[in-house]
Amino acid sequence: MSPITPGNYLPSEYLPIMILMIIAGAFGAGALIVGALFRIRRSYREKLMPYESGNPPIGEPRYRFSVKFYIIAMLFVVFDVEAVFLYPWALVYDKIGLYALIEMMLFITVLVVGYIYAWKKEAFKWD
Amino acid sequence: MNIPFPNLMPVAPEIIITVAASILLIFDLALRNKGPLAFLSLLAAGVTVYAIIQPASLGETFGGMFISDSYSVYFKLIFMVNLILTVLISLKYLQRQKAEYGEYYSLLLFATAGMMLMASAKDLIVLYLGLELMALSTYILAGIKRHDIKSNEAAMKYFLLGSFSSALLLYGISLLYGLTTTTDLYQIAAYLKQTGSSMPLLMSMTLIAVAFSFKIAAAPFHMWAPDVYEGAPTSVTAFMSVGPKAAGFAVIGRVFLMSAFQGMQADWTPILIGIAILTMAVGNIVALSQTNIKRMLAYSSIAHAGYALLGIIAGTEEGLHAMMTYLLIYAFMNIGAFAIVILLDKGDEIKDYEGLSKSRPLVAALMLVFMFSLTGIPPTAGFIGKFNIFMAAIKAGYTWLVVIAVIFSAISAYYYLRVVMNMYMKEMKQEAAIAPSPSLGLAILITVLMVFIIGIMPSVVIG
Amino acid sequence: MNVFGMTVPAGFELATSIAIIIVKIAVIVAVTMLHVLYATYFERKVIGHMQVRLGPMRVGYHGILQPFADGIKLFFKEDVVPAEADKTVFKIAPIIPVFATLSAVAVIPFFDGFVIANINVGLLYLFAMSSLAAYGVIMAGWASNSKYSFLGGLRSSAQVISYEVPMGLSLVGVMLLSGSLNLTEIVKAQQQYWFGMYLIPQFLGYFVFMVSAFAETNRTPFDLPEAESELVAGYFVEYSGMRFAFYYAAEYIGMIVMSCVAVICFWGGWTLPPVLVDAVPALAAVPGIVWFLAKVYFHVFLYYWVRATVPRYRYDQLMSLGWKVLLPLALANIVVTSVVKFFAGS
Repeated sequence: MSPITPGNYLPSEYLPIMILMIIAGAFGAGALIVGALFRIRRSYREKLMPYESGNPPIGEPRYRFSVKFYIIAMLFVVFDVEAVFLYPWALVYDKIGLYALIEMMLFITVLVVGYIYAWKKEAFKWD
Repeated sequence: MNIPFPNLMPVAPEIIITVAASILLIFDLALRNKGPLAFLSLLAAGVTVYAIIQPASLGETFGGMFISDSYSVYFKLIFMVNLILTVLISLKYLQRQKAEYGEYYSLLLFATAGMMLMASAKDLIVLYLGLELMALSTYILAGIKRHDIKSNEAAMKYFLLGSFSSALLLYGISLLYGLTTTTDLYQIAAYLKQTGSSMPLLMSMTLIAVAFSFKIAAAPFHMWAPDVYEGAPTSVTAFMSVGPKAAGFAVIGRVFLMSAFQGMQADWTPILIGIAILTMAVGNIVALSQTNIKRMLAYSSIAHAGYALLGIIAGTEEGLHAMMTYLLIYAFMNIGAFAIVILLDKGDEIKDYEGLSKSRPLVAALMLVFMFSLTGIPPTAGFIGKFNIFMAAIKAGYTWLVVIAVIFSAISAYYYLRVVMNMYMKEMKQEAAIAPSPSLGLAILITVLMVFIIGIMPSVVIG
Repeated sequence: MNVFGMTVPAGFELATSIAIIIVKIAVIVAVTMLHVLYATYFERKVIGHMQVRLGPMRVGYHGILQPFADGIKLFFKEDVVPAEADKTVFKIAPIIPVFATLSAVAVIPFFDGFVIANINVGLLYLFAMSSLAAYGVIMAGWASNSKYSFLGGLRSSAQVISYEVPMGLSLVGVMLLSGSLNLTEIVKAQQQYWFGMYLIPQFLGYFVFMVSAFAETNRTPFDLPEAESELVAGYFVEYSGMRFAFYYAAEYIGMIVMSCVAVICFWGGWTLPPVLVDAVPALAAVPGIVWFLAKVYFHVFLYYWVRATVPRYRYDQLMSLGWKVLLPLALANIVVTSVVKFFAGS
């Protein structure tokens, strides 16, 4: 087999995944489309109103929400990227040895500094 | 496969700065008074300077992704000057502005670490890493006055345009990687020597040039600079007008002159000449109409980027050296000028300086020195910087460009000297209050001494 | 090329192999959907008996046909699209979770060699698909134009991303030990121990993974996005009929997928502990799918058991559990595993 280079690599083992994705999408869309032929359609104004415990809706449905959600989103990005760095490291850990261990301990230490900082700044606190 | 442990000596300065920044971040959580943090960061800077000047620190490491040579050492010293002076001028200023957050100092250190990485990058990935570390830290620094609407605006504008330029840079890098299948700057240079230029390559080069022009605030990519410089706390403005600019020049010098695009000088010189002329024109002409001194200094810093670009355009060893010297001199005189702005209780508007020589003769005299130096009047350092860079450009055969630069330099005298005129020839409206502090005094002393020492004995920095 | 003893004429190899893949997929998808249908029945029965009730009894023997009755009912129900909803997003949103969770099935090895796609980044693919499901929730919450949906969608997205971090980290221990992201190889690597599973060396990872899996699938005690007693149904309050059924189905497929991952990564998949097989050689004759399904159903049962036993968490408790307990535990697990592995290996 020739070495994998951008020119000659055909990811054929991913073909089944593509087919499954098409089938899964078709299943979702198909069930809805076929269902549309049989379903009853009897709507009136009250039925199409947003549900608010039986009362007419008050105010804007998409209101301003807590800034905490943004902070969580940013923390997620930080820690998820970190997890992405850990995966390849874990896979080649056997082959690299001590260097890998020390490097990753340093990496996690830096991360823990940020984690302690976020904790102390009450980024994880909800009230 | 057993990967050998990399030689850590060349990265020692970066390691020290990063560790210090992390320690400061943790200390900040425990400390109520932020004063000790400033002293700790000065200490860290001192240790880093010691690590930088060690001869043992020269060399390559991390599989050739990181290089420490005399070029990067010189730039790292500029960054340290910038860091130390900024810490000195911000100590009291932050208290006065009620923006005394401990993160300030660790962000300064992180930004400096990013700049140092940029200066030492031998690989596009490391370059980008350093650039982002620097940029993200400075975005926050610009907005550190959390409750000030102008500071917020500055941070937002800086962030939006900065991330835009990062995207351009990444696009350029990815094109370059696609063409050459490597991110190593020197291998790219070797590869390009064989293949010569092509359309995608020119596109990639233009994108990279544009991204760096954003960082050094060269026209027409300077739009962010005035608003950001005006809105950010003055100490941060001082830091930003020197550090990121020098770092930008460091990578331009490295990427365009010393490695990747070395063989394509004929292609990029016209682009940079255009940028340089436009930068000098916009910086100097728009500065004329400014009434806010921070805005005026922002435009002046744009103009200075234009002068420094001449060193790169010259394309010679001498030009590169002249550019480096210029940036070091610029660090002293520009931070000095900002230090005076900080020293005055109310010194943001140019008309605040009316009659300053009557109420505060010493402060006025110091401001006079810095304004003369920025204009380039001997015997100040600014003259030496400009002289060197113009000489290098003339030797490289760009006499016509130097003539243009000198004309713009003459125009610049108008707005620098307007401050002087305000101080010495206008009637005093009211007694100007000042807020002196030992650290600020020390910073002003260092800068003014350096401006004179370099101005009288230029051999200190040229060599 | 040879299929079931018949020779495939030249030129039709690709078509034949695609046909085989499609048949395989059709079987797996059909069986999975059947399992999903019966997982609902199973849940109602288990919880019914736990609460000393009988659960569904009317349709068929002991209500055995109940899931089909439900399915048919939902299929013919009216599909209400609220007047002020963002219609396109509202209509697309429910397809995404079903699509994502069904696609995730592609890399799960049910027994040795029986997997739709034996790719080398199987675990990564699973993470990718499980996080894709969150889009359906966010889109539904936003598009419904209702306060309950909006709040439910927000809560859910924050919850899902908060628990994705410990979940991703909890499996790093497994990757360290097996040195692979390929699920079949992870199962085989576990045979090196006499107990044949990573459950014992990775108990911390398993604990973190299971708690995160409960949160990722929005199951009790972390079902705040749906919280019927305060948000009525959270992000899918405005949905009805088939689209509503899709969210329901996605939740159960997700549950089964998560159980499969837990079984593969921590319970040795379709294999038995070598020590047990050595003691009773007859066990080796039993097909692996039996053990696999038994283990998966144990985990599915665990979901029901927890639902019947544990009360719902408060939102601040949920967040602090994820960020302040599970995340440090997962990190500690990585550090301990790598250090132990280094000293045990050298």
